Formats: sequence, C-alpha cells, structure tokens
Amino acid sequence: MSTPTRVAVTGMGAISAIGMDVPANYRSLQASRHGIGPIQLLDSAHCGNLLVGEVGITNDELAQRLEIPAGEAYTRTTLLALIAAKEAIAGIGLADGKRTGLISATTVGGMDATERYYDDYLVVETHRHFIPTHPCGYATEQMAHYLGVTDYVTTISTACSSAANAIMLGARMIKAGLLDRAIVGGTDCLSRFTINGFNSLMIYTDGHCRPFDEQRNGLNLGEAAAYLVLERADAASKAPIAYLTGYGHANDAFHQTASSDNGDGAYLAMKQALEVAGMEAAAISYVNAHGTATPNNDLAEGQALLRIYGTAASIPPFSSTKAFTGHTLAAAGAIEAVFSILALQHQEIFANLNFSQPIEALGIVPQTTLLPAEINHVLSNSFGFGGNCSSLLFSNAHD
Amino acid sequence: MIKPLYIHGMAGISIQPTTEPGYFFDRIVSYAQNPIPARDPDYKALIPPLQLRRMNKSMRMAIFTSQRALQQAGRTTIDAVITGTGLGCLRDSERFVEAILADEGQSLNPTPFIQSTHNMAAAAIALALKCNGYNMTYVNNANSFESALLDGMIYLSEHPDKTILLGAVDELGERTTTFWDMAGYLKRNEPTVPTPLAAGATTGEIAAEGSTFFVASQRPVPSSLGKVVAVETCLETDDSTILITRFLQKHGLDTSAIDGVLMGYNGDSRYDSLYHEVTNAQFAGIPCVGFKHVLGEYDTVIAAALALSIQILHEQHIPPALLVSGPQPQQLSRLLIYTQRRGKNHGLVLVER
Repeated sequence: MSTPTRVAVTGMGAISAIGMDVPANYRSLQASRHGIGPIQLLDSAHCGNLLVGEVGITNDELAQRLEIPAGEAYTRTTLLALIAAKEAIAGIGLADGKRTGLISATTVGGMDATERYYDDYLVVETHRHFIPTHPCGYATEQMAHYLGVTDYVTTISTACSSAANAIMLGARMIKAGLLDRAIVGGTDCLSRFTINGFNSLMIYTDGHCRPFDEQRNGLNLGEAAAYLVLERADAASKAPIAYLTGYGHANDAFHQTASSDNGDGAYLAMKQALEVAGMEAAAISYVNAHGTATPNNDLAEGQALLRIYGTAASIPPFSSTKAFTGHTLAAAGAIEAVFSILALQHQEIFANLNFSQPIEALGIVPQTTLLPAEINHVLSNSFGFGGNCSSLLFSNAHD
Repeated sequence: MIKPLYIHGMAGISIQPTTEPGYFFDRIVSYAQNPIPARDPDYKALIPPLQLRRMNKSMRMAIFTSQRALQQAGRTTIDAVITGTGLGCLRDSERFVEAILADEGQSLNPTPFIQSTHNMAAAAIALALKCNGYNMTYVNNANSFESALLDGMIYLSEHPDKTILLGAVDELGERTTTFWDMAGYLKRNEPTVPTPLAAGATTGEIAAEGSTFFVASQRPVPSSLGKVVAVETCLETDDSTILITRFLQKHGLDTSAIDGVLMGYNGDSRYDSLYHEVTNAQFAGIPCVGFKHVLGEYDTVIAAALALSIQILHEQHIPPALLVSGPQPQQLSRLLIYTQRRGKNHGLVLVER
C-alpha cells in the first residue's frame, strides 16, 4: 500500500472583529484584546442593547479594498470572504495546472441583501440586481470567479459547524485524489436575520460572553470570514505552515438546536479526529473549544472533553476564543482553525476571556491568560444546530 | 479509489404522482400555472401527526422520501445522511424575514428561524433515525445534489462497509418566486406542463419543487436497483461537448458507450439550445430523455433524473412521454445525465444497470 497522502496547510487568511488580516488577529489574541462592542454598522432594532463582534468597515470600503467596481452586486458575506480568501492564496499561483477546488461555507449567504430589499424589490428597480445574490451558492460562485477557481466549486451549510466541514471535505478530496489543492473555509456577516433569530431563542448574554463559566448566560454574535489553502503535502506549492492531520464528524441526533447532556456528538467527533490522525488524546497540546458560552453548549462540550480524557486533570489546556470574536456561525470553524494554526506557529495558547468560576458539574478550568507552551497538536471543535458536530486536528509543520 | 455506488432503495416526491406504487411516467399530470407545488402524499402514513404539524414542507418531503427509500432497501437504520438543497427551507426563511420586518424588537417565534437552517432536513432525518453518523448538507445552487453524490462516493470509499442515505430536497417560496420572476428566470407566457420543447419553447423556467432520496452503498446485492459510476460538476464552460468528452474519457469511455442520455431540457428557449448542440454533436441517433418538462425546474431536480434513469435501466424502456428524440432502445445498460441551469452549474452523472 502506498503511504497515505498528508494534507498540508500552505496559506491562511482571516477577517474578524479583532483584525482585518491574520497578523492583526494574532496581535489581538496575543494582547488578549477582544473585539466585542455595540452594533455600529448594521441597521437593527437591537442596535442599542446588544454586544456583537462586528468587522468595523462598510461594504463600500470592503469593495474598494477588493477593487470591485462600484454598482456590482456583492453582499457582505461575499466581501468578507474575498478579503480572507485573497490573503490565504497570497503567494500561491492558482494557474499552475494543479486541480484546485473552492469549498466555502455559509449560513447567511445573501440574506443581508434579501432582508434589506425584501419590500424594496417589489416597488423599485434600483436594487434588483441583488436578487440573484440570495442563494448561499451564489457567494461561492462569485468567489470562484474572483479567485479564478474552476476545477471544483461547492458550498456547505450545516449551521455553526459549516466551515469545519468545508475544511474536512477539502482534506478528504485531496486524500481521495480528486484535488491537489483546496481553498476551504467559511463566511457569515451579521444580519438582522441571525441577530433576531438568536434573540428569539433567548440565547444572548446581556454583556460579554463567559465561556465555560458557571455564571455564563449566553453568547455574543459575530461576523467573520476565514480560509485555508490545503495542499497535497508531497506537491505543496509553498512551505507548509501546519498539517491537517485529523478530522471527525458526528451527529448528536438529540434535538434540533440543543446538545445532548453528555455531548455524544462532540465526543464522537473528537474521538474520530484522533483516530484519523492515529493519535492518543494525550498527544493534544491545546483544545480550541467551540465554547459559545451558552449554558447548554459548554456543559455538553465539557462533558465530552471529560469523556475523552477521563478526568479534569488530564484535559490539556483549552480555551474558547468566542469572547474575542463573538460566535461567527458558519465562519467559526475556519476562524478558529486559523487561531489553532497561530497557536502552533507561535507556541502560545490564547486566553479564554471573562472566566472566573468553573462549571460546578464539570470542575474543568480553561486557560484564562496567554500561555507560552510547547504545542504540537491542536484540536479545534465546532458544533451546530441539527446536532452537527465536527472536530479538526492541526499539527506542527516541523514534525 | 472512488468506486461505484449501488442504489438499494429510492423514492421521490414531485409534481408528478411519483409516490404511487409502480408509477413510471405512464400518465403525466398536466398543469397550466407557474410555479407548481409538489403533490403531497399522505405524510401521516410515515410521520407521526404531532411531528408532522411542526415540519415545514422540505422536512416533510425529505422524511417521507427517505423513509420510503429505506423501506424499499429493507432497512431501518443508516450510517450517514448526505443531502443537497439549493435554497433550503425557503418558506420558513421568508416567514422569519417577514416577522422581522413587521415586529423587530418584539419576541418573535423562533421556529421559522430554527427551521430555516439549511441542514434541517438532514438533521430531522438523523433525529428520526437516531443516526449519530456523518451528516452533511450541500447548498450549491443547481449543483447541490451532485456535491452530495460526490461526497457520498468519497464517504463510501473511506467506509466500504457503510450504507448511506443520499438525497435532495427543494421547496418553493412565495415572495422568492416573485423575485425570481422579476429577475427574468420564470416562464410567463402560457406556462404549461408538459412544457413544450424545441420549436415550441419560449423563455423562462417552470418553477417546481420536490425531494428524492436514495439508500446507497458500495456493495451490490441481488435486489440492488442500479449504480452510479461517476459524477462531475462544472460551474461554467464554453463548450459542453468538451466537458462531456473529457468526463467520459476520465472513465475510459467514449460517446459510443452511452445507450441513452437524460438531458435537462426545461423549455427555456434561452438555454435549451445547449442540449440540442450536445445531442447533435455527440449523441445523434441515441435516445434522448427529457425530465424537466414534466417535473419542472428546481436546483436539485437532477436527483429525480437519477431515480428516473435507474428506473429506465430497470424497466429497459423509456416512457414515450419522456422520449425527446431518438429511437426506443433495444438494450440499455449505461445512461448519461447532463443538466445545467441558466447556462451555469453543469452536472454530469454516469449511471449503469
């Protein structure tokens, strides 16, 4: 049997509330500086009373940075995606004959335009060129055009684990010999649809989210986009910055929105990621948790970690970075993949902000300050509605 | 590495009576409207009433057809659920936008928000079957089902002993249909099903909806219905004939190995010429089967075409109402499905007996 194909990460890009590119995101993480604040740009009845992780530049400015001609119909989801994807592919010529795919994740798609022009479309023609932007797939197709990807283009939408699933598919397609390179990740802008949706679920904190804290009372929403370039390690066009060594996916099959008490889906996803990588749980140096700071998620995820590791003392340092960026939905798995790789590159574990008291039922304590440490393998969790649970395992470029 | 995927059970809901036992397009229901909603089967036969009441149409159609497919395959459990949907649970998305526009700031009913999530049909199936396995949803316009099919083939090559549910669902919206009409997608001028093709074609699509599910694995059994050998998508191409030639070459075939083609003719005079050119250049004298002129157009209608192709291979004849050109065949062992939507999202599926 031939040696299995290794999947290298050769590029990454990110835009979030804590930075317009990867270096800026890293500086915020290193300084434990969050990006959560009142809504500035989005027009919503919730503007005054909700703290979110908003990317502080307008659509027009984003379009200018991308040199997109004025008047063309790009929604915010796509604009954020292009900023991040462009950063990810910098220095990689896509027109080199290698089979390149684009696998993008989104839940919002063009909803921000649809909700803005929903009644406007009916009466005036001014914004009707935005009508085709509604489907999630349209954002990916615009990206494919902009980036020049033609070999394989697809879109995944599985709620808050979407980007992790896009990254996983890219790796699987490379391993299956179907692609040499995959641009993978996710994007979601803030929209009235999601802001009101999560509000209707009464899932927001009244202040800053407190992942894994006994007193946690909900999440902050955020917007972001992040993309990785995955390549066959034996034919990578650049020196790898990390390897994607494992991935796991399972369904909780418990409830439409809630996680099971013992975190079945989360447990199975992590277990499978370790199996794919051929690693023991003890090999993991850091867990970038999903940690939305809702009572339900953190309890279920904590239970799943306890099941993987046996005791609280055996769990490696872990943190949720949601208090920096907010929960960025379909982008979360990708933005946190970038943070996991930053942890590997800089040998630092990022802080779980706003924590003071461990969850009584679990007794597990996240890493609350920046911690320099030897980091070889990072597990990154993403869980979504519909019981959709994914876990990615990133490993050092030099092992 | 990627091996054929064998189909052991399948079921579809559409604007034709495809849920009736033994139905094989021998009787075509006519319509003179646009859009056309799918024909509701007796959902209560397979879904408990309490659950049914809470489900939107996508979830109902997906649960019903997936259960039927499982019944045909003689299974009650499954290892993975992989779905495609162009627009997801569209009606609940519209409902929630309308609630925001009317009452933002008030306490809104969360159900339409939850059920607007694109993966809700796949999640509902996992929940109904208590399936902890792989669960994926593709939302790539008119290539959504092909993406699911490709993932299914990759998944089964990774897990050769597993059996999966593979499916597609798309529902009509209300306001969205108005928007598509404004964008010029829809047929306004005497929309009918069966939709006139070729010389009788006018501009625009007939918008419809439906759901098709398959039970599939890598292992053939005597009751297997057929197999999918390959699938490929292409966002845009200048030349469909080159796309098809390369696709066949990749699998060691040329056009002479194809016994019949299923083409996505939908009666939109702007794009049907694409199929015409392909037929003339590559498949002259071979039976050409239409399906969108009786099923309407929606992002995942190719899943219904896959079910139809398997039925054709099984029955060894083509329903006369679906034969667009060419002769009734003597023998059918390999079919090619080719479809696109509005000049984009080209999809190719190779199906064998």
